[in-house]
Amino acid sequence: MPKHVLRLILLLVGLGVVAIAARTFLVDKSFYEYGHYRGNAVAEIAQDKPKFQGAAYCRSCHAAQFAEWSKGVHDSADIGKVVKCEVCHGPGGGRDPQHGYINAATGPIHPDNLKLAIPSDTRALCTLCHEQMPGRPLQQAQIVIEDHAGTQQCTLCHNPHSPRTIVGSLAAPEHPGDAAAGRDKADQCSGCHGAEGVGAGLPGPTLAGQNEAYLAAALKSYKRGARSNPMMSPIAADLGDRDIQDIAAYFASLKCEGPPNAAERVAAAHKAGASVCANCHGANGIARDRSAPNLVGQSKDYLSDALKAYASGARPHVVMSALAKGMSDADAEKSAAYYASASCK
Amino acid sequence: MDEKEPFGERQAARRSFLGRLGTAVAGGAAAVAASVLPPEPTRAAADAPAIPAIPGYDWSKHHWAFGVDATKCIGCLRCVEACKAENEVGADAHHFRTWVERYVYLDGEDSARVDSQADPVNIEASGSEGRYRFANRYKDAKVDKAFFVPKLCNHCTHPACVQVCPTGATFKTDDGVVVIDHTYCIGCQYCVQACPYGARFFNPKLNVTDKCTWCYHRITKGLLPACVEVCPVGARIFGDRKDKDSPISKFIANNRVAVLKPETGNAPNVFYVGIDKEVS
Repeated sequence: MPKHVLRLILLLVGLGVVAIAARTFLVDKSFYEYGHYRGNAVAEIAQDKPKFQGAAYCRSCHAAQFAEWSKGVHDSADIGKVVKCEVCHGPGGGRDPQHGYINAATGPIHPDNLKLAIPSDTRALCTLCHEQMPGRPLQQAQIVIEDHAGTQQCTLCHNPHSPRTIVGSLAAPEHPGDAAAGRDKADQCSGCHGAEGVGAGLPGPTLAGQNEAYLAAALKSYKRGARSNPMMSPIAADLGDRDIQDIAAYFASLKCEGPPNAAERVAAAHKAGASVCANCHGANGIARDRSAPNLVGQSKDYLSDALKAYASGARPHVVMSALAKGMSDADAEKSAAYYASASCK
Repeated sequence: MDEKEPFGERQAARRSFLGRLGTAVAGGAAAVAASVLPPEPTRAAADAPAIPAIPGYDWSKHHWAFGVDATKCIGCLRCVEACKAENEVGADAHHFRTWVERYVYLDGEDSARVDSQADPVNIEASGSEGRYRFANRYKDAKVDKAFFVPKLCNHCTHPACVQVCPTGATFKTDDGVVVIDHTYCIGCQYCVQACPYGARFFNPKLNVTDKCTWCYHRITKGLLPACVEVCPVGARIFGDRKDKDSPISKFIANNRVAVLKPETGNAPNVFYVGIDKEVS
């Protein structure tokens, strides 16, 4: 055999031996087990431990918060809207930072050595989803935060676990009031609040058509001293719980309705700086929530005095005190003037 | 012509010699290989099909797929942050396993303005490279049409990225997930170039390529991928196509779904509802 042919054959055989040796000793044994890859890699990738634990995990300790949440609008599985605990509080599981990245085992899971965030800046947090923004579907609840909340945090009014629950809401009365009985008991009120509960030109605010629960709560506040007024405090002190329910029912049954909540009225509310007020009290002064009073039919003086009392702390309220303190005097005057313009006659 | 005949004969003789040599070498190599190499382990040959050692999980019983209902997406970017936390992608604004795009058609403009959470304006709005939110940059503009589109790896049936990998570091599992074996990845980024969807990125910290795994470590334990787990509006849907009652099977059955760039032939497994002509 010619020498050059022999060399060529030896070279090829040598290369073949190197290739087979490399294939045997260097390539992982599990390569080609399932395909052109390292078979063991599949289980290695899968062994990584999950960080997000799910709402059921949180429930095991935070049952009260879970119950609030699961009854609220943030757990509406029927419409596909579920804001789970870890969306706002972050994942329950953390990784050991020393363990590196590849297929790292999970570090301590909350509560071991790890506290989850309780978001303090809810204005930034809630607006991640609820800021009014082009591109968001219409069915998503959206707000312009300055109009909706002024400078306040969302949690001033909303329970974050169940946001439709308004902080400071009133419980339903134990006994439904009797409006007919209340009519007789309300004789003494007419001097200041008007015979038909409309206080126009009189010292007292309009009571006709006011929320029954709000009226009852106001009388109870006078009675126990949480609110004080030279006229109201002694009168309320003499009233029994039953009297309070009946009188509240009577005034609530009288008519004082504002104009319809037309678009121009809403725009005017925004212009007057009263858009924050409108969240609870409505753009036309008819309250959206029974915990808040109707403002329709009240005088400007009464409304601005009330705002001053909230701001000074003379009339403490969980929501109103903070809102009134955050308002400038000019805004307070403008808002009072705006609602005073909503006649109910 | 006469002078060229001998040359032609010589050429033919050389060709036949090379042909015989090639046959001999191949035959010899095959004989050597057959005697030295251990037999290829094949699943077909085994009695019970071998499966990866994942506790309580048989990959032959699942075929995972993903759905995106863009009509529901509110652009809150909780999915993006959750993915980064779950998979430790690194809290910077340049590397994402999943992301969200915003398409805005302004009055009088024919094409959409597109931005994502990585846009400098949006990073400024969030105040941090590790937290994400869409800046309300179009609130005073006349917007004709706007929507958000979540994006992620399509886990294609015929993935171009897997085809080009020179080391077998990236592959498609039998249950339909395209993953990367980071111990075999050499960081050549050929797959980054091959992916028509921009779903892969190079991780400079680890010097390997990285991508969405549909949270393979979660789905093999019966959990949802982190982005699906946190999506507050149900815009992301995940499930097993072998289970006719799974959310993804129902999503595909009840909607007219589309895939991105079908013309590339990759056959994506992320199915979209509510995307527009410019989304690709």
